[in-house]
Amino acid sequence: MKLTELFKQGKFVITSEVGPVKGCARVNGGPPPEFIKEALAIKDYVDAVNVTDNQSAVMRLGSLAGSLLLKQYGLEPIYQLTCRDRNRIALQSDLMSACTLGIDNVLCLTGDHIKLGDHTAAKPVFDVDSVTLLRLAKGLNEGHDMVGNPLTRATDLALGAVVNPGFEPMDLQLLKMEKKIEQGAEFFQTQAIYDPKVFEIFVRRIETFKVPVQLGLVIIKSPKMARFMNEHVSGIRVPEALIQEMAAMPAAQYKERAGEIALRMAREMGPMVQGIHFMPMGWSDLVPPIVTELRKIMK
Amino acid sequence: MIATTKKPLAEVLEALQGCQKVALVGCDGCAKVCLTGGVDEVADLAQQLKAAGKDIVFEVAPERTCNVAKSAPILEPLKDKIAESDALLVLGCGGAVQITRHLTEKLGLTKPVKAALNSVGHMDTLVPGAKAMEECSDCGDCILNETGGICPVTLCAKGLLNGPCGGAENGKCEVDPERDCAWILIYNRLSALGEVDRLRRYLEPKDFSKGSRPRTLHIKEGRVS
Repeated sequence: MKLTELFKQGKFVITSEVGPVKGCARVNGGPPPEFIKEALAIKDYVDAVNVTDNQSAVMRLGSLAGSLLLKQYGLEPIYQLTCRDRNRIALQSDLMSACTLGIDNVLCLTGDHIKLGDHTAAKPVFDVDSVTLLRLAKGLNEGHDMVGNPLTRATDLALGAVVNPGFEPMDLQLLKMEKKIEQGAEFFQTQAIYDPKVFEIFVRRIETFKVPVQLGLVIIKSPKMARFMNEHVSGIRVPEALIQEMAAMPAAQYKERAGEIALRMAREMGPMVQGIHFMPMGWSDLVPPIVTELRKIMK
Repeated sequence: MIATTKKPLAEVLEALQGCQKVALVGCDGCAKVCLTGGVDEVADLAQQLKAAGKDIVFEVAPERTCNVAKSAPILEPLKDKIAESDALLVLGCGGAVQITRHLTEKLGLTKPVKAALNSVGHMDTLVPGAKAMEECSDCGDCILNETGGICPVTLCAKGLLNGPCGGAENGKCEVDPERDCAWILIYNRLSALGEVDRLRRYLEPKDFSKGSRPRTLHIKEGRVS
């Protein structure tokens, strides 16, 4: 099911995210790998689950294999595809492969730089940027490759993109968001944002864009993790007040408080947009109770 | 200029293993600017090689070793000296090393030509004697007219053409917090010029065939193949 269909129906779309394991996921009849277990735990609560593409440039199982596994377990995957590791030939080929294998949703990203990951000597590709990735994906949906050659059969993928509402200057980020829409983006998931005032300004600025947006929320697991994100994760800023709120709790209660904070943020900022995208960083078990509460106010 | 750094002496000596008589060819152009291969650095390395037991046959530093118009008039008269050398050691960019090899071959000599430097890119001098920076990637398909004279292909770590990624923090690049985000520089520059609407234009992906190596410049026709 394409996410775009859900948005068209006026549904408040809730998604979450898992990161494939660093290893082969062929379990030969054994229990499924951790990221599948995580996804199964939220299966009945979310509309779809993102599968990250070698997130933070750390080499892992591929997002296409991960997405396919999710599909086999009855979940709706959002296949994340970055420009970091593939040239334009590989990107187009992988998009056709994804559609062939039954994937309906793809999230088109630039990708974190190789210097942030675990193979820092690798050659960064970035043959095209995320705007062009959307353009070429739209082209495949229309039945042609990026140089105009016809396809024997067009793809049929819902095209997602990302935007960072906390980026300064916001105008520059919005210019890029508009370009993404012009080139094919049909829905957006935002980078994590914890400042409702900034998010409100962002939402007002994009009113005329007429494209569904999901608020991105990374679940803050501890004050240490929040500080780590502020220092090392690009584009995320956790306000000091939130870090202090967490730090005031005994460590045994971090998880409970993490759920409370995420629910509070979701309640406050979620209604401004058309959905929420959770990035639980392994704490997927927090998602069902948050979603249960949220669904009382957002259908 | 082509920027260079010195190889460690141990690596140079390893490259010269079995070569007793060494001829030194510096470059009084780019390598001089980088303080790696001008007249002074050639003399300095000659001293170090002598201390390591090598015999130095000659020391030269053409104005631009990569340009045969400058290096041939200096190296050709030294044919006999080159012939008695066991190796030539070039304190220049990789181009200088290879032009020196071309010249020895043209002289009918088969001599090992070794590199004393690492070439680290096309760089522009910002602070003489102290700092040079890579600002142009020689892509063969210049877009500076669209980007306020600031090259995102080079200055953006991801070479993005249609605006920034979401990773900049306080105007700095996600890859290096010491470095300005190229796209914020471009945005500020175009804003100051009153040309910010240029950023609304979609820029097609680069035609990398224009940069496929090795390229040859046909100077008379102004053509690259």
